[in-house]
Order: sequence, then structure tokens, then C-alpha cells
Amino acid sequence: MVYAESRKLATGSKSIQFLLRKILSILKLLRGIFKHLLGITICAKQVAVRTLEGQKPRRLSMFVPCFMPYTSSKILYLLAHFNVNKMSEDLGTVVDEIMNAVGSAASKEDVEGNLKKFIEYGVPVEQAKQAVIKKYGGIGFSSSGEKKLGSVEPNDKRLGLLGKIVAVEEREVDVKGEKKRIFRGLIGDETAVLSFTAWKDFGLEQDDVVRIKNAYAGEWGGQPRLNFSEWTEVEKTDDSIDLVKRKAQHYTVIDLKPGLSNVEVRVKLLTMEERDVNVGDESKKVYTGLMGDKTGKIRYTSWSNFDVKEGDVVEIKGAYTKSWRGTPQLVFDENAKVGKLDEVMPVEMVGKEKISIYKIVEAGGGVDLNIEGVIIEVQAGSGLIYRCPKCRRAIRDGVCVIDGEVEGIPDLRIKAVVDDGTGAVNAIFDRNTTEKLTGKTLGGYEKMAVQSGEVPAVARKTDIGEVKGSTVGAEEMKEGVVENDIKNLLVAHPVHVVGNALSDDYGVTVIVQDADIVTPAIQEERDKILAKMEAMK
Amino acid sequence: MREPALRVFAGEYNEASHVLKGEMEKTPSYVITPLGAKANRLFIVGVLTDVENVAQEGEMWRAHISDPTGIYSIYAGQYQSGPAAFLSQAETPSYVAVVGKARAYEPEEGTIFVSVRPEMIKEVDAILRDYWIVETCRHTYARMEAMKEAIGMNPPSVYKLKELGYPQLTAEGVVEALSVYKDVDVEHYQFLISEALSHFESGKIEYVKELGEAEKKILEIVKQCEGDEGALWDEIVDNGEKGGLERNLVEEALAALMDRGIVYEPILGKLKTA
Repeated sequence: MVYAESRKLATGSKSIQFLLRKILSILKLLRGIFKHLLGITICAKQVAVRTLEGQKPRRLSMFVPCFMPYTSSKILYLLAHFNVNKMSEDLGTVVDEIMNAVGSAASKEDVEGNLKKFIEYGVPVEQAKQAVIKKYGGIGFSSSGEKKLGSVEPNDKRLGLLGKIVAVEEREVDVKGEKKRIFRGLIGDETAVLSFTAWKDFGLEQDDVVRIKNAYAGEWGGQPRLNFSEWTEVEKTDDSIDLVKRKAQHYTVIDLKPGLSNVEVRVKLLTMEERDVNVGDESKKVYTGLMGDKTGKIRYTSWSNFDVKEGDVVEIKGAYTKSWRGTPQLVFDENAKVGKLDEVMPVEMVGKEKISIYKIVEAGGGVDLNIEGVIIEVQAGSGLIYRCPKCRRAIRDGVCVIDGEVEGIPDLRIKAVVDDGTGAVNAIFDRNTTEKLTGKTLGGYEKMAVQSGEVPAVARKTDIGEVKGSTVGAEEMKEGVVENDIKNLLVAHPVHVVGNALSDDYGVTVIVQDADIVTPAIQEERDKILAKMEAMK
Repeated sequence: MREPALRVFAGEYNEASHVLKGEMEKTPSYVITPLGAKANRLFIVGVLTDVENVAQEGEMWRAHISDPTGIYSIYAGQYQSGPAAFLSQAETPSYVAVVGKARAYEPEEGTIFVSVRPEMIKEVDAILRDYWIVETCRHTYARMEAMKEAIGMNPPSVYKLKELGYPQLTAEGVVEALSVYKDVDVEHYQFLISEALSHFESGKIEYVKELGEAEKKILEIVKQCEGDEGALWDEIVDNGEKGGLERNLVEEALAALMDRGIVYEPILGKLKTA
């Protein structure tokens, strides 16, 4: 009964609403008529009406008539509207600009007529101009519509640019589960060099000078990054561009992450290899190797011979970085400046500084890194494993996914998470480092596994004399004693790790080359903090 | 990207009354402390003081872990089977290390209780606990510095903090904290750190250092004497004393080595290295 009543009321409120709408549509009509004559306007207001149904407030759109005097700019607009002849004189220059942009695509009369029409509709002159250009050319930009790269800001849209491709590389990315080829690189003009992403193949090549229409800018690493989309037009031109000679930005090696340009570093060349590569039909010499400073090491490629050699300490200005096989790489060519320094940098100092893990995560990898953190997790798949004798893959139940049934070779490994409170990386320890950290041997762990009945002795026919021929179960290994022992020994312990880091979809992984359990220097750490606190007071 | 396990004192964590909820599925949630720790995951080492099953039916273990500045509450239910099993049998007091997720419980608007849901918990020794305390002092101090920088900025900027060398997470946490907490009292955390450091005034560290060195020496001795049969207990102690180690220190060191499985006792009275 109560329900029925409320229903009725609710319907009632709906019909009132309908009535109001009718009245308002008439008012709206009147508004149009009054607008120019009286200089008054009727404005819309949204009013919340509480209906009975469900007691939820509903927003009903209702127009409440009210009178608002025109603002001064609107009055000016009206005056201009009544004086079309005067306006057309002022628009002369705009029409000329449009004619420059569209060329022979339209007559001056058409352009002028269209422009006036847009302006009569209250479209601001600049927008009207763009609209007309688009109408006739489809291409919305004259040379004056082009922006210099130095003045591009994040979120700029419909950008017109002229620039030189400094670098470009192809990448495959996952977009909603689909593989997509994209092109990343750097584009520069006299004012700046910016990174770009092309979401389709425009056939861009290094040193091309291109006119770009309808690009947009996003933000990456605090800098604007250009995007060339499906709707962007790219046209090669014969213009020549003198790239900006802005001051190079100095970096320590550990801070180099992919996508930087105009980089300056002071490094020691640790290794150098000369290689011949084919660029198009030309054969070119490149120099690759490893370089570093005390913060870290990085792979490099030089596209030019700078007359420097292994062991030299050099300053490089105007290099750029990209991602190569999951780690950052420094690249420089004839546009860069490379000079020998008199500085002494002993090899054993290179890359010896301990690095906060967040830096490795931000850089997405690195070479010969020194990190210290706590093992906060030992993951499944750690401990005693068996490898295929042919391909070295870890096998399960005596079967290799590639080579079928094989006699596995026992091995040790640990997959762990190392975390220093600023970041976390996966770390993979091999047999040597596992033995070093646990203080146990592969043989010892095999015995442990056999004695616990988890692994049959036949898995390895030597070294386990006394239990040879044991007939435990099938040839498989459960996670168990060895993994547990490793967990007991290592989880929550601080470790010092040296290795190469690379990134993939699961984060950053360090392939450990050397590792030690850290003996905490508690007293020293405490004194350091106390000293800092004193300084703070 | 894996969320790092933050080092935060209970005294700071328990003051948190702001949560950043992940808007979409799979985006992480964070507890934001007044000093700007942006915690999704935590690493804690402290003293397990009490454990209680608080569930009406089934299992929900609540435990308290004490650090020099306050007490952490942790909750482990059926979906944290490892930690729940550990807690059901844990002895108190004991030193434990916990890796866990930062959780917040909001019984009513404006009231937030923070806790930790453990992913891993294990017993550790006093050395690791002391190490955690100094590490946590260091991290707290770094947040204090970032907070001071941010307070001096108008407006506080994540980008500028990153330029000064702070990690993204610290920068974000500090800026977020400034926008939600009124009058962040940085001095208070200086007090917290000195409170934590006063834990070391009692001369424990000397002892810990001695024990660590004794362990190394003893391990060498065992290796020298073990042969195929294993080294005799008395032989080790004698050799240890010759090496300038006190008898009870030798025994302590041996016990510690055996606890960690580095030395084992295949036959009673005889010791071997693993």
C-alpha cells in the first residue's frame, strides 16, 4: 500500500518534470529571439529534486529563467557583427596567411567568405583561420603554424614541426595483448632535441629532415615527448638544420637510463672492440665495449673513430642512450666530442660504489653493479635442480622440454628477491654463489635430498657411494629440504651482490656473479647516523 | 614492478591515518605515514611479544612485534598459511623478521588502524634485529631530509625532489603526506631515531662483534681438526683457548654455528662442517 502510494507520487513528480521541460523549451526559443534584441540572456540551472522513490536525490535538468546583462566583450562582439565591412579590412592579413597555407586549393573569395562565416558564428579569429585552412588543405599549418622544438610543452596538440631525426630504433610492444611495431627516437632542431614515439612506420631514418603535421606531445621523465600517431603526417624535405648546441648534461654512469640525449660523461674505457657493420650499402667501422666510472659500468657503441683506446679516461659530450637487450647503452657518433683526460681512474675503482636499488630499477638494468640489500624472499625453483646435458635448461621429472628424456646434471641455484628498502630486484645465484652464501656444497645438498627421500640416488651415479642404488620414487624432485634449508639460512639476511641487471616484463633481474653475506657494521652505521643528527641540530 | 619493502619504525607507521587506494584492479594501495613513507610492503625485525588467535571460528592470528619506538600489529589468517603456521607455534619473546603488506582498517569514517599482513615470517638472531634498527634509522633520516626539502618548496614537487636524488616513491610519499597531514613535525622523528639508537647504549655491540669473530676462528679450527671422523668438542675448545678465546665464548660460537647449520654433530661429541 505504502509502496503503491510512493509510486504514484514518483510518477506525479515525473509529469511535473515533463511540464517544466515543455515550458523551458518555449523559454529557450524565446531566449534566442530576445538575445540580440534585448541584450539579456536566460541561463540554465540544474536543480536537484528529491523524488520519493527510493529517497535518492535525482538531478533533473531544469531551466530557471533569469536575466543576465551582457558582458562587455559580448557587446563588442555585437557591435563588430553589425559592422562587417570594417571587419573585412582587418581580416585581410588573416586571409593572406590562409592563402599562403592552402596555395591554389581555393580562391581568395572563397577563403574570405568562409572565414567571415566562421567569425559570424562567434568562432575566435585564430581558430577560424585554422578551420578554413583545414577545410581547403586538410593540412592545418602554414610555416607560421610550426613550432620550434624548444617551445613544445607537454600536452601540446596538433603540433606542426620541422626537425632532423637524430636517432631512430624499432621496437615491438604489447598493446592490449597485440604486438605492435613502434619507432622510438630523437628529433632535433636549432632549439632542442626531443624524444619521440612513432606509432606507425613512417619510414624515418637517421639524418632525415622532416616536416611533421598534427603531432602531439606527452611527458616522459619530466620532458616533453612527441607522439606521431595514425593521423600525423610526415613529409621528408630538403631543408638543412643545424642541430642545437645546448650545454651537455653531465651524468654519472649509474644515472644513465634509456632515452637521454646530449649526455656528458667522464669515464674509463674498460674494453674496446672494432667491428665492421653494413649500413645500407656502406661498410662502417663501429667501436663497442664497456666503460665506467666509480658508480657503474655501461656498454657503449661509437659510430666514429675518436682515436682513443682501451684504458683511456675520456670525457664524452653529446652522446645519447638507448635500451639494448634490457640494459641501457651509451651511443655516440661524429656529432659528439670525445677528449682524453689526464685523470687517473684505477680499474678496480670502476663500478665499486654501492648503488641504491631504486636507481637500478629506474635505469632498467646495468653492468657489473654493486648492491647491498636483504634477501626478503627465496622463490620456488630454488635449491637442487637438474639441467639438461645438451641445452643446460632446468628439467623436470628427467624430461627436458627441448631434448626429451635426458640424464640430468645436478646443479644449485637460488632465485631470490633482494630489497634495500628503496627498491627490489630479482636475483639469480648460480652454484658458486649459492655455495658461497650457504657455506654448503652441491654434494652436501644432494646427500641431504637423498637422505630425506626426496630425490633418488640414481639421479647422479657418482659421489654418493653409500646410498647408491636407493630406489626412492620416480625420478623427480619435490621442493623441499634443500629449498627450505636455503630459506632458513638466507631469508632476512643482508647480502652484498655483484652482477649484471636487465629488465623484462617482470621487473629487473640481477644475474649474480659474486655474493657475500654482509656482516653488519652496526657500530659504524650508528655513529654515522649520530654524526648526521648532530649536524642537523 | 615489485613494491619495495620499506623500513619504517612502528612509532612512525602507527601514526598513519591516510591510505592511497589503488583505483583500478591490480594497482597497489599504500599507507602514507606523516613523514611520507609510502608503504605497500614492509620489512620489520623486532621482538615477538604475544600471539593470539582472535577468530571466532577458524584461524586469525594476531601478533605484536615490538621495536624500540612502538609496537607493530600483524594479522595472519588462512590465506597466509606459512605465517599462520609459524605464529601458531611461535615462542615469545623471540626475534622475528617479517615481510608483509601494509593494511588499513577503517571502522568508521576518519578512524584508521594500520596493521601488517605477513607474507613471510621467520625467527632471526639479535644481530639481524640490530642491523634492522640502524637501517631503519637511516631510512627514517632520509625521509626527514626529503620532508624538509619538500616543506621548503612552493608547491612541493615530486619532480624537483627526484632531481635532488630522492627515489620516486620517497618523493611521492613526502608530497602526498604534506597534502594530507597538517603541520608535519619533523623534529618528532629526530626524537624517534635517537630513541631507537639509545637501544645500543648498553654495550651489546662489542659482544656481537666478538661473537662474530669467534665464529670465524672456531670454524677454521673445526675444519683443521675434523678429518673424516669429525672434530672432538674438547679439542675444539682447547684449540680455541690457545687462540685466545674464552671457553664460554667458544661454546657460544659453536652453538651459533650449529644453529645455522654450518657445523653439525654426526656423532655425539664430534663436530663436522657441513
